[in-house]
Amino acid sequence: MMLALCAAIIVGASWGTIPFSPATIVSALFHPHAQNDATIVLWSLRLPRVAIAALVGAALAVAGLLMQDLLGNPLIDPYLTGTSAGAALAIAVAIAFGAPPGLYSAIALGASMATTLLVAALARSGTGLSVERMIVAGIALSSLFAGLTTLVILWSPSASVSLSILAWLGGSLAGHGWRDLGWATLYALCGFALALTTIPALNALRLGTRRAQALGVDLDRTRWIVVIATCLLTSAAVSVSGVIGFVGLMVPHIVRGAIGHDVRWTIAAALPVGATVLILADAFARSATPPTEIPLGILLSLLGVPAFLYLASRRPKTA
Amino acid sequence: MIDAQDLTLAYGSNVVLQDVSMQLGDGELLAIIGPNGAGKSTLLRALGGLHTPQHGHVMVNGKAVAQMSPQERARRLALIEVDTSPVTNVTVREAVAQGRLPHRPWWRWNELPEDEAIVDEALERAQLGDRAERMLDSLSSGERQRVWVALALAQHAPSLLFDEPTTHLDLGHAMHILSLLREVADAGTTVVIVLHDLNVAAAHADRIALVGKNTLLACDVPERVFQEELLTAAYGAPIIVRREEGMMLAFARPPLRPKGAP
Repeated sequence: MMLALCAAIIVGASWGTIPFSPATIVSALFHPHAQNDATIVLWSLRLPRVAIAALVGAALAVAGLLMQDLLGNPLIDPYLTGTSAGAALAIAVAIAFGAPPGLYSAIALGASMATTLLVAALARSGTGLSVERMIVAGIALSSLFAGLTTLVILWSPSASVSLSILAWLGGSLAGHGWRDLGWATLYALCGFALALTTIPALNALRLGTRRAQALGVDLDRTRWIVVIATCLLTSAAVSVSGVIGFVGLMVPHIVRGAIGHDVRWTIAAALPVGATVLILADAFARSATPPTEIPLGILLSLLGVPAFLYLASRRPKTA
Repeated sequence: MIDAQDLTLAYGSNVVLQDVSMQLGDGELLAIIGPNGAGKSTLLRALGGLHTPQHGHVMVNGKAVAQMSPQERARRLALIEVDTSPVTNVTVREAVAQGRLPHRPWWRWNELPEDEAIVDEALERAQLGDRAERMLDSLSSGERQRVWVALALAQHAPSLLFDEPTTHLDLGHAMHILSLLREVADAGTTVVIVLHDLNVAAAHADRIALVGKNTLLACDVPERVFQEELLTAAYGAPIIVRREEGMMLAFARPPLRPKGAP
């Protein structure tokens, strides 16, 4: 998996409007101060984009895995808690009111975290979280925010504003650099760290919630930690990439199909696999139809859905 | 050793059981019986620390269950509840190894050095050694019940509580699982089981707790609990008690039909 990730990094750095050979890219990687086109393009454009793709892919994959394992449902998407819908509405409003693009990441981050916290507050049950209420609240708020976002697009002052909003909703890594990685990396790392603490509990939950509880798993604490970790991971991803769906749903399936269901290994594998999938998808998105780019979120849906259905149809049926 | 005092168990304002007190010694096997909805499973959950009593307390080896952390509770009490949710993609060994979870510090993901031998021993005691690598959902109901017993054995808890261990099992498998629980009790573990079959309870338990009419009607040796009036009052149906070849037998009296009826 790490070899696949290294190969994806080389591919991601090589492909683009100006293609470079892998040998040129490797040379530029080891000579960062050389003054040639390849080195400049690599270090100022391609590498930050590859790094963001890796971060977003890994974050969404781990977030999807956490939510699916917590709820015992392989069809759960990490955006279930309304993260993407809240961020999308906030960005739509920000673009419509002419907020500077430099603020988009911070706005998306704040809105997605606020939405998750709102969903968690609505799903509170005693000292814990009701899983059913969380799903209902997440779906309800996502629908509400999606409707409001459409309204903002329809009422936006000009067609160009509407297009800007739609481009963000389509999900893209275009125009992002090293500066965008800072906060997103910090939040994602906190999310990863929290995710690691839930591994024993999530493994016990594979036997069912009642058995896990009897084994000493604190269900309330586990649910809160997973929701907070998922919030940090998806917010970090949304803030730099917009709405990129499907990675959080698909990658956990790929990982489980390859190495089994033990959460110790699936979380470790979801990091490189998620990163690899998004780096390759982004490389394809920006080099398939030059000079324009296919929005990454849309591309992943176009390629991912058939791949996912194929994988699902090959899965052996359990008794 | 489990000591329950003055328990009132309720769901909101709906009181299920009240004035329940019982003491269980090491190596004792207690069967809880009673009609549907009488609160048998709720009582078991309360003894296991997963249902907080509205009043009263449960002590295990001198310490209140309510004061224990979830991990400490799981080290002292192994509780197997009825859980019909399907368990897929888990091998027998993986499931039984989860019994070691309460003994690991929260930051440790891998098994402790001694865990492998403990899991192997639990699998052998439950006669699952040859099925360790089988997937759980490929086992029969009886084998799956043995997996949960093996998991509880791996927990190394001094008390084992099992809700309906013989439900959906044929006679052979039911006897097998009850013999296993008897062995566990004879080895010094306090065992509490919820049963629907009164005769099975009388045959295997040291004492029987009869719940009904929102309270604990009796908690005594089978001979004293198997009173026709007591059982009839608890179940709301005429119950006949017979002693056959040293065994206590109870069965519901069928309604009398007039002569000549088809």
